[in-house]
Amino acid sequence: MATIAEGKGIAATDSWELPENRPFFSRWARTARDNPVGAVAFAVVIVFVVLGIFGSSFAPYNPREQSVPDKFLGPGAGHIFGTTKFGQDVFSRILDGARIDLKFGAIVLVLGFLPGAALGVISGYSGRWLDYLIQRSAEAWTAFPQLFLLLTFIAAFGPGLRTVELVVGIGALFGGSRLLRAVALVERHKEYVAAARSTGATEVRILYRHVLPNIMPFILVGLSSVFAIAVLLEATLSFLGLGVSPGTPSWGADLNTGVQTGGDKYPWLVIFPGIAISLVVLAFNLMGDTLRDILDPRLRGSTGPRK
Amino acid sequence: MLRYAVRRLSFLPIILFAVSILTFCLLRVLPTEDIADVIGGSNATDQQKEAYRERYGLRDPIFPISVHASMPVVTVQRHSQYSDWLLRALRGDFGQTFTSGKSVRSEFVRGFPASFEIVFLSLVFSVIFGITFGVLSAMYRNSILDYAVRIFAVLGTSIPEFFLLSLLIIIPSYLWRYSMPVGGYVSLLEDPLTNLRLFVPAAFVIGIGGSSGLMRLVRTTMLEVLRSDYVRTASAKGLRQRSVIVSHALKNAGTPIMTAVGTAFIAVFGGSVIAEKILSINGNGLFFFVSTQSRDLPVIQFLAVYTAGVVVLINLLVDLSYAWIDPRVKYS
Repeated sequence: MATIAEGKGIAATDSWELPENRPFFSRWARTARDNPVGAVAFAVVIVFVVLGIFGSSFAPYNPREQSVPDKFLGPGAGHIFGTTKFGQDVFSRILDGARIDLKFGAIVLVLGFLPGAALGVISGYSGRWLDYLIQRSAEAWTAFPQLFLLLTFIAAFGPGLRTVELVVGIGALFGGSRLLRAVALVERHKEYVAAARSTGATEVRILYRHVLPNIMPFILVGLSSVFAIAVLLEATLSFLGLGVSPGTPSWGADLNTGVQTGGDKYPWLVIFPGIAISLVVLAFNLMGDTLRDILDPRLRGSTGPRK
Repeated sequence: MLRYAVRRLSFLPIILFAVSILTFCLLRVLPTEDIADVIGGSNATDQQKEAYRERYGLRDPIFPISVHASMPVVTVQRHSQYSDWLLRALRGDFGQTFTSGKSVRSEFVRGFPASFEIVFLSLVFSVIFGITFGVLSAMYRNSILDYAVRIFAVLGTSIPEFFLLSLLIIIPSYLWRYSMPVGGYVSLLEDPLTNLRLFVPAAFVIGIGGSSGLMRLVRTTMLEVLRSDYVRTASAKGLRQRSVIVSHALKNAGTPIMTAVGTAFIAVFGGSVIAEKILSINGNGLFFFVSTQSRDLPVIQFLAVYTAGVVVLINLLVDLSYAWIDPRVKYS
């Protein structure tokens, strides 16, 4: 039986949206004007996603095509970011490199973060032994340097993105459960939950119909930090030669090739891939910070990504 | 407090034991490949593989106790890979590496000074830089310095360490034909100048990159503390600003800062792999990396237990430092 207390009215007071009933676009424009840094970061993220899907079709050259006479050309008219040892166009390789990171981030998100988020909500909301188990395992996992965990797993299962996905995915699982647990712990003591309970709604219904819609925005915060970490770790492992298979356009791997093939003479081979990584990670970090500030100032600084 | 420290330390062997079992499972039970194939590579003959199995005891069961579905339900073997490893490890022998056949322990001891130096120096830079600028940015809130610190803190978490270190090597070489003494490790006592020419710039870059988290935390904690009554009282009674900041504010912000220093240590410790790889420093980080590439299981096994030990000890030190900073914290 749907009652007044169960309706939208009460839930909306705790909601993150701006109170006015303005048209969709002007509300967005206003949020962007209040948070210019966040808006720019969001734009960079959009560009990254578009490149991740269509990157190679925008590329002026085939990113894998070799052309020996054009090797080590400096940044200039034909190749704005220069060319590699094999005459491959650096700019095209960077555009195409977004794809591997988008795919990697998406896998970590779907197989690691989202299940972790669900576990976090359940454990934060209903607690007891499940909560204890997840929290202690998460503490043990995060106590170790991420890179050491990655190296240990790679020693066991061999190099390749599969192994990296597994380890980063487990990390995201714990990260997601932590973030959403903290949110759920706050949320379960709010008035609308008590109101819904007083109308006789079952716990499952409260969780599904009331708590879940209210914590949805926090998934976005988690999403941005998942992508920031995923891009950083994929780049690091590919830089170390333990990630993507050789030849695949990847910012980390290209940076490493740049250093190996004489980065001190051809610095563009190192600088441009490095800027691409830094820019995308920065954009995701700033987008996460902005979202968190809009959603809940109390959580400020509590869930930033760790290196 | 001593009793607390002893009690916490008594957990250390239990944790190390658990970590050793978990890594054994991870490295030897879960992978589906034959370990003899991993050691020998793809072109090893069957005879060579047999020799490997014999030499490293790979034909023994992995754990001494095995459980079956039928009778007898539990059987205990005299020899197993794990119990043999454990008995030797207790005597300080961690076996031989698969690739070179050298003792894991002596390789580790050889690499230790270089790793220690890079981790220690980086942490020193990290702490000095993080605390100084964190405090200054809280004191002069919303000044240009504060904005610079905040921008820096976001950049520091976003720019990967390997990019900065690559630039450190490349840029001086490109601009001024100056190359750092990369490669190998010259001890500080042997040739201090060559040693410091490599380690100081490297540790500076790693330290500054790693200080952003600390800086952020020091800033927010200090902002909170500076608003408190006792800080206002201290300034009101005419104390110099320096003593208000150092002995009233900073000391009260001490416990969260020590937690962040512990986190910074773990970050720098993990980052030593990348630093040693890029700068070709023959330390334990590079040892870990090279062994990962060649899947040298005895080395990984040892380094995992060692890392767990370091992590536990650092956390203990951080906890004990609370009592040292804040007399209200009592351990018994």
